[in-house]
Amino acid sequence: MSVSTAAPPVSFTGETRTHCPYCAFQCGMHLEPDALAHPTVRPDPDFPVNRGKMCIKGFNSAALLTNSSRVTSPLLRTARGSLAPVSWDEAFGFVGEKMRAVREKYGNDALGAFGSGALTNEKVYLLGKLVRVAFRSRNVDYNGRYCMASAAAGQNRVFGVDRGMPFPVSDVGETETLVLWGVNTADTMPPFLEWIHEQQRRGGRLIVVDPRRTETARLGQLHLQLRPGTDLALANGLLALAWDLELVDRDYLERRTNGFDEVRRSLSSYEPARVERITGVPLGDMKATVEALSRTSKSMLLSGRGAEQQSKGSDTVVALAQLMLALGKVGFPASGYGTVTGQANGQGGREHGQKADQLPGYRSIESDADRALFAKIWGVPVDAIPRKGKSAFEMLDALGTDEGARSLVVFGSNLPVASPDSQRIEARLRALDLLVVCDSFLNETTEFAHVVLPTKQWAEEDGTVTNLEGRVILRRQVAEAPPGPRGDIEIMERLAAELGVDSGFGYASTEAVFDEFRRATSGSRADYAGITYERLNRESGVFWPCPDESHPGTPRLFAERFFFPDGKARFEVVHHRAAGEEPDEDYPLYFTTGRYREHYNSGAQTRLVDKLTAVRPEPKLQIHPRLATELGVEDGEEIEVESRRARVIFTAEVTTDIRPDTLFAPFHWGGRKAANALTFPALDPTSRMPEFKICAVRARAVRLRVVPSA
Amino acid sequence: MSRVKDLVIVGNGMATCRLLDELVSRRGHEQYRIQVVGEEPGGAYNRVQLSKVLGGAEPDAVVTKPLAWYTKHGIALHSERRVDFLDSKARSVVLEGGEPLRYDIAVLATGSQPIVPPLEGMHDEDGNLKSGVFVYRTLDDCVRMRSFARAGDTAVVLGGGLLGLEAAKVLGDRGLHVTVVHLGHGLMNTQLDFVGGEMLRRQIEQNGLFVRTGRTLETIVGDEYVTGVQLDDGEHLSADLVVLACGVRPRVEVAKKSKIPVNKGILVNDTLATQTPGVYAIGECTEHAGVTYGLVAPAWEQAAVLADLLTGTGPLARYHGTKLYSRLKVAGVEVASLGVIEPSLDSDRVIQVIEERQMSYRKLIVRGSKLIGAQFVGDVKNAPALIQSFDRDETLPEDPLESLCNFSASGTATSASRMICNCNQITETSVREAIAAGATSVELVVERTRAGSGCGSCRGELSRLVEKHAVRPLPLSA
Repeated sequence: MSVSTAAPPVSFTGETRTHCPYCAFQCGMHLEPDALAHPTVRPDPDFPVNRGKMCIKGFNSAALLTNSSRVTSPLLRTARGSLAPVSWDEAFGFVGEKMRAVREKYGNDALGAFGSGALTNEKVYLLGKLVRVAFRSRNVDYNGRYCMASAAAGQNRVFGVDRGMPFPVSDVGETETLVLWGVNTADTMPPFLEWIHEQQRRGGRLIVVDPRRTETARLGQLHLQLRPGTDLALANGLLALAWDLELVDRDYLERRTNGFDEVRRSLSSYEPARVERITGVPLGDMKATVEALSRTSKSMLLSGRGAEQQSKGSDTVVALAQLMLALGKVGFPASGYGTVTGQANGQGGREHGQKADQLPGYRSIESDADRALFAKIWGVPVDAIPRKGKSAFEMLDALGTDEGARSLVVFGSNLPVASPDSQRIEARLRALDLLVVCDSFLNETTEFAHVVLPTKQWAEEDGTVTNLEGRVILRRQVAEAPPGPRGDIEIMERLAAELGVDSGFGYASTEAVFDEFRRATSGSRADYAGITYERLNRESGVFWPCPDESHPGTPRLFAERFFFPDGKARFEVVHHRAAGEEPDEDYPLYFTTGRYREHYNSGAQTRLVDKLTAVRPEPKLQIHPRLATELGVEDGEEIEVESRRARVIFTAEVTTDIRPDTLFAPFHWGGRKAANALTFPALDPTSRMPEFKICAVRARAVRLRVVPSA
Repeated sequence: MSRVKDLVIVGNGMATCRLLDELVSRRGHEQYRIQVVGEEPGGAYNRVQLSKVLGGAEPDAVVTKPLAWYTKHGIALHSERRVDFLDSKARSVVLEGGEPLRYDIAVLATGSQPIVPPLEGMHDEDGNLKSGVFVYRTLDDCVRMRSFARAGDTAVVLGGGLLGLEAAKVLGDRGLHVTVVHLGHGLMNTQLDFVGGEMLRRQIEQNGLFVRTGRTLETIVGDEYVTGVQLDDGEHLSADLVVLACGVRPRVEVAKKSKIPVNKGILVNDTLATQTPGVYAIGECTEHAGVTYGLVAPAWEQAAVLADLLTGTGPLARYHGTKLYSRLKVAGVEVASLGVIEPSLDSDRVIQVIEERQMSYRKLIVRGSKLIGAQFVGDVKNAPALIQSFDRDETLPEDPLESLCNFSASGTATSASRMICNCNQITETSVREAIAAGATSVELVVERTRAGSGCGSCRGELSRLVEKHAVRPLPLSA
C-alpha cells in the first residue's frame, strides 16, 4: 500500500489562523510549527464562537496532517484485489474510461456522486454542478441526509427557511431557560459548554430531554428521560399543557403566525396520562418545563439528532418550533428555537446544491424559474438540467440496479459506517461497476473502492464553511500538502474533463468558485452575494442572508419576519406515531446510537489519532444494571446485540445513565463493531432521513456459564 | 371507479372525534361519504376538560372540532338530532322524525350516560330536575351550573369518583362550601384501595372540601328549588346546589332497538364489529371481551383499529383490550393507578409504602416477577416509569421496591477508575482522592487535579462527584 511511514516536516504558508476540521462549531485555531516543523494547535482566543476553548479532538487534530497512514498516491484495485499505487494520469484514465462506458451502457443517471457536510461551500457547489452539468445525472446526494435533513425540512415548514440557529451562539449564554432536546453537546460539541456554563453562572435554568443521562443532562436542573422515539408526543404534550395552563401568547400568535387554532384543537389526545404513558416523563416535570419556558422572558429550545434522526423527525422539529412560537419566544434576543448542526459545514452543505432535489441557495431543482436561472448561470439548456433524484439511503440502496447508479464518486463520506443497516449498503457498494473514493485516508468505504484518489486535508486548502449559527467563515490554508494529494476541486474539474465537459470547470482559484457561487445565491433565502473572501479575512465571519457587500449580515434571522410571503410562521397539525420498528416479543429492547467525545462521526479521522483511541479504543454498550442482572451480564463482559439485520458483540458498560428498556452504542466504528449494522432504515416521509435513533433488538450474554458437574 | 361508500357515525363525542381524525389521516374521507349524527349542538368537544368550562373557560376552549372542520373535510354533521334505530335491511340509520340516512357502514359511538339515582324530591312538577340539581356530563350542564353557582353558595356533590371530585374542586375554587357524599368506604374506589382513598380524603379535606364516605342521599329538600339534602343516616345538610356524579353506564338504547346484541354494552369482537353486518361500535357504549370502559384511552385505541380496518390501511388490525392507567389531579392531589387494585391470589405480593407525614401512598401488587397493579397518591413521580414497565410486561427488579426509584438512582454501576477528564487524562479515582483530601468544590478539584481545565466538558461530572463524595455521602448500596 502506498502509505508513507515517517512523518516528514510540514511546510507552512505563514498564515496560522484556521478552523477545526470536525464539527459545526468550527473552533477558531492557530496551527503553528513546533521544533520538528510539525503543526501544533493553539485555540484562537479572538474567534467569538469558541473564545479560546477547544475539545480533545480539536487539540489533537494536527496529528492528521502528519499521520503516517495518509494516502499520498492514487490507488487502483488490482486483479488480485489489493489497492496499488498508480499515477494520477493512469487513475483518471481508468476512471474516465469506466465512467464513459457506464454512461454508454446505462445512461446518464448511472453516474452518481455522494457528497458530505464536511466539504466546503465551494466544493458543495461544484459537486452539484459537476453531477448536473457534466454527469448530467440526477443521482447526487450527501451524508447530511443522515444528519440535518429533518431539522431543515421541519424549519422550512414552520419558518419558511432553514438556518440551524437563527441567532448567534452567544445568545445561549444569555438565555434564562434553555432546553436542550436530544442534544448532547458535552460529548458532541464540548466547547459549546462554555456558553452553557455562562448561562448557568448567570443563574439560568437548563432542562435536558434525552433517553440517556448524558454529561449534558448532568449539567442541568431537570432531566426528562423519555423513551426513545417519543419526542413528538412529549412536544405536543407540552403544547397541550401550555394551552391548558393558559401560557400561550395569544397576541404574538395573532401578529406573527397562522394556523394555531387548528393545532391546539388537535391536541386533545395529548392529555397527561397518555403523554406520561408514551414518554415516561412525569407530568410534574412536563409542567416545570413548560412553565420555565413561558415565565422567563428569554427562553430557548435547541434540538439535536436525538429528536431528529427518527422517521417522524421533521414533524418533531415542527412541533418543537411550534411550542416556542406558541409561547411567543421566537424572534427575540436570546430566545427561540434552533437546531445544533453536526458536521463542519452541515449548514452550508445543505444549502448549495449537493442534495438530490436542490439547486444552490436553497433553490429547487423542480422549479421552472430556478432551473432557468441555473441554466443561464451554467450556460446549459434548461432541459439539460436533470430533475430530482433519490435521497441518500434510497440512492445507495439502488446502487448497481436498473433504478440506480452503476458508478459512484464519494467525497468526504464513509458510507458503510455512517449508513443504517450498513451490511445492506456494503452489498450495494459491491454491486457497483465503479467506486471512486476521494479521501486522505483509507477507511471502510475504500475497502470497496476500485480507485482511491488522495485529497488535501482541511488545513491544506482555502475554503468557506457555514457554521452552526449560519456564520460564513473562511477556513484558511496554513500548511502545504505533501507531494501527491490533490484538492477536491481539481479532481472535480478533471472528472468533468474526462466526460468531455471543459467549459465551466476551469477555475483560477477557490475564491473564483466562491465568487461564481455567491452570485448564484443572490436573491435566494441563503443569500451569500455580499460575502467576499476579503470581508471574511477582515471580519469574524458574516451571517447570511447578506445580499450585498455593504450589508452587515443577519445575526438574528426572525427579528421582524418569517420567510413566507406574508411574513408569518405557519402552524400545522402533527401527530405522534410509532417508530418504523418498535420492540416486540422477539426483539424486546430499544437500541439507540450516539457519539463519544473523543471520536467524530464514522471515526475515519479520529480512529487514526493515538491520543483519541487511547481513551476510547472501542465502542461500549450502555446497559442498565436491572437489565444486565436479568441477562446475566457484568460490567466489562461481552454482550451480543441482535436486530433483524445483524448481530454485533460489544463490551458491556453497566450504568444507571440509561433506561432499563434501552441499549446504547456509539456509531463511530465499522466492521464487527458497527452499531449501524443494527439500525433500521425507516425514512422520514418529508426529509428522507433514516431512523438512526430507534430500532428493536434483543441481547444476551456471550460468557459461557460454568455449570458445576453433577 | 368504484362507488364512494356511505359511512354513518352515530354519536359525536370523543370516540367519534378520534375516529374522524384517524379516518382523515388515512384519507378515509375520500373513500367514504361520511355523516355524523350528534344530539348536542355544535362540533365535538373534549369532555375530559369539561371542568375547565365549569371553572370559567369559554366553551370554545374545549371544542376540538368546530363546524368548519367538518365542512373542510366534506363530512356532514347532523347536530341536535337523535337516532331512533338502525334498519339493517334497508341499511339505513333512521333519525327521530323518520328521516333515513343510507349506510354501507354504520358506527355506533353513542358513549355513555350518567347514572342518575332515583332520589326523593329531585324532580319538579314537570318531571324535570329541580332547580339547583345538576348532572355533570355535558358542555351544556357545565355552562348552566357555572351560571347558577355563586360564591358563598353551598354545594353537595353526590359521588366521590373522578368526576365528582373534579366538580367539587372547581366549585370549591369558585368559593362554594362543598361536601362530597360518597357511598363507598374509600374515595375513588375504582382506582384506589381503602388506604389510598383515605389518604386522598385527608388531603382533600385539608384543601378545604368536606367528605362523607359510606353515605348516600335519600332526599332532596326544597319546594321550587333545592334548599338541602337528607343523608341516609338522617343527617340534613343545607345546599343551594346538588351535583350528581354517580358514574356512567353505556348508552345502548339505539342498539337494542335495532336488535344488535347487547349485554352491559354493545357487544363487539376484536374488529369492533357487532354481530350485525356493516355495523361497528367503539367507545364507552361497547363491551369487548366482557369489559366496558369508562375512560377515553380505550376509545382512542379502538378508533385507530377501526380506521385501519375501514380504510384498508391495516386489514389485520385488531383490538385486544386496554390496560388501564388513570392519572389525575384530584382536588389538587396527584393520583395514579394502573392494573388491579387488590391482590387476588394468595401468592400475590403486596408492597405498600405509607408516608403519613408526607401524605403519600404507594402500592405495588406483584405476581411472580411481574407487576399487576400499582397505586400512587401524593408522590406520583415514578408512575410513568411503572406504567411503561407494566405495558411492556417487564420483569421487575429482584426487590420490587427498586422500581419505585428513578432509573438513575437504582443499582450500582460506575467503576472508580473511569476517565473523567479526557483532555488531561484524570480518572475518577484521582478526583475522589482530591475530594477526600479536602477539595470540596469544583473549583478546588480543577485547581488540584487539572481535571476540567481543558475543554471543560467534564465539569458537570466533577460537580456530581463533589456533591456525592464531599457534601452528602450516600449509604453504600448492596
